Amino acid sequence: MIMEARNLGWSARGKPIVTGVDLVVNEGETLGLVGPNGSGKSTLMKLLAGIRQPTSGSVLVKGQALEAMPRRAAARLIAFLEQHSETTEAITVKDAVQLGRTPWLTPLQPWSAEDDRIVAQALADADMSGFERRSWTTLSGGERQRVHLARALAQRPQILLLDEPTNHLDVQHQLSILNLVASLPVTSVVALHDLNQALSCDRVGVMSGGRLVALGAPDDVLTLERVSSVFGVRVSIITDPGDGARIFRFHPAS
Amino acid sequence: MSGTSSQAIHVSRLGRGTLGFMALAVAVLAGTCIGETPIPVATVLQTLSNKILGSTYAIDPIDMGIIWNYRLPRAIVAACCGAGLAISGMVLQSLLRNALADPYLLGISAGASTGAVAVTVAGLGAGAISMSLGAFAGAVAAFLIVAMLARAAGGGATLHGTGQIVLAGIAGSQLFNALTSFIITKSANAEQARGIMFWLLGNLSGARWPDVWLAVPVALVGLSACIWYARALDAFAFGAESASSLGVPVRRVQIVLIGLTALVTAVMVSIVGSIGFVGLVIPHAARFLVGVRHGRLGPAAALIGAAFLIAADVLSRTIIPGQVLPIGVITALVGAPAFALILVRGRRAA
Repeated sequence: MIMEARNLGWSARGKPIVTGVDLVVNEGETLGLVGPNGSGKSTLMKLLAGIRQPTSGSVLVKGQALEAMPRRAAARLIAFLEQHSETTEAITVKDAVQLGRTPWLTPLQPWSAEDDRIVAQALADADMSGFERRSWTTLSGGERQRVHLARALAQRPQILLLDEPTNHLDVQHQLSILNLVASLPVTSVVALHDLNQALSCDRVGVMSGGRLVALGAPDDVLTLERVSSVFGVRVSIITDPGDGARIFRFHPAS
Repeated sequence: MSGTSSQAIHVSRLGRGTLGFMALAVAVLAGTCIGETPIPVATVLQTLSNKILGSTYAIDPIDMGIIWNYRLPRAIVAACCGAGLAISGMVLQSLLRNALADPYLLGISAGASTGAVAVTVAGLGAGAISMSLGAFAGAVAAFLIVAMLARAAGGGATLHGTGQIVLAGIAGSQLFNALTSFIITKSANAEQARGIMFWLLGNLSGARWPDVWLAVPVALVGLSACIWYARALDAFAFGAESASSLGVPVRRVQIVLIGLTALVTAVMVSIVGSIGFVGLVIPHAARFLVGVRHGRLGPAAALIGAAFLIAADVLSRTIIPGQVLPIGVITALVGAPAFALILVRGRRAA
């Protein structure tokens, strides 16, 4: 176990957004989080990243309370890819990815050739090599998303928290990013919109109304009954004749 | 190869620092030479040599008095104020993620003026230090009020909410300017009132050596903090939450840097009065020249701000023969069109 949430809760002006989440993340796994809009996925991700303070419960990273950890130490362990993250600054792709090295640098420990190498590798992994000098404002939504991913990778974290990383991406880059995340030697928690993508995670958690209502292997958790009740749709399952994989098909509830 | 390239960066950084310092020295020298009665560079250098190195060049004592007692401290104070206001504006723009943030527009200068006037008129102790303390208290109070108002109005670090904090700044400025007028009218005599009103518009004619010894360390502390926190400021590019996930202790950095901004602004206001638009315009000019990374941006903004305010001061002394224009008039004549440009460009980007 590398990360653990105990009775984790967060409320805004007395309105609970996340309630009583108990969650153990195993070292090296890719854990998918699914749930309808407003189910508390993004808030849970921010609590796990330690950038929001829980109103109840706690997050433990490698046995230490995240709240008590200096931000720099936390950021060396955890990288977080936010869902909406924009800037009006005229920064370049390289500037943005270099930000990922922030937790590893101090005024007395300046930028080194090793940092250059890590940034180049991160750009290559996110398929953004050659974009270094491009200005942020000229990038498409998908390119921005991949730059954010490269920045998170440049942090060299042990835990990667990704909030809907496939948003804005074309299908080729959706697949390549999910494959990349699965192949990296890190633990990842990924909030996903696409239930078919969630099927390829090691484990899946289902959020509904701010609670974690199910957690386990994708086939055990994403049952027809649960998907249809949590998401309010009718579901059928098709089997791909090529490899026998399950595919969800959705229909309006009525 | 990597070794030589990092060495090359190191050397060129040292080179840039030397170049910057030389440019600053030239600006101060120019500010000392140019005036209603122009003084040759040689005379200025000889005066400096006499005063600092103890040499014995024969110089007209009147010239020497003008150079040493008036123009040189005035040019150095102008440089410090320009640098201090420019980095204050840069820090506010980066932390609030607002292209229009500036100590003047956000009411911090107005709050500092109120604090300084309250100390001067109410006579709570005398001397530059206590006036600066009053200005600091006023600056912090103004920032807190404006920040709370902006927050209540839905402003803050979102892209669409940036207008709210400027509106809150206008309200704060009006409030503190009214308070200043109230204090002056209620407590000051006519002569005091005239002096204060002239000082409020920005005026370097009173700058002497004691002001230099206050302005130089404060400007240096402000600049050092900007360089020390350069990476943290960079990390705010995508917002406070993103900075936090990059390991920046957001709350501490905000308190330290905004506190320093208030201090620098307060000290500069207590010396030269409230000078607008330097903090707004100079950081944008510096970004245009050296890019958005704060390791370079901070020193560049400080240098350009210093040169700009020396030039503005020279203009204010010479543009109308026999008359001294408040320096705030010059900075506003340059700054207001630049403000308009930033507004229009921001609209296009949105």
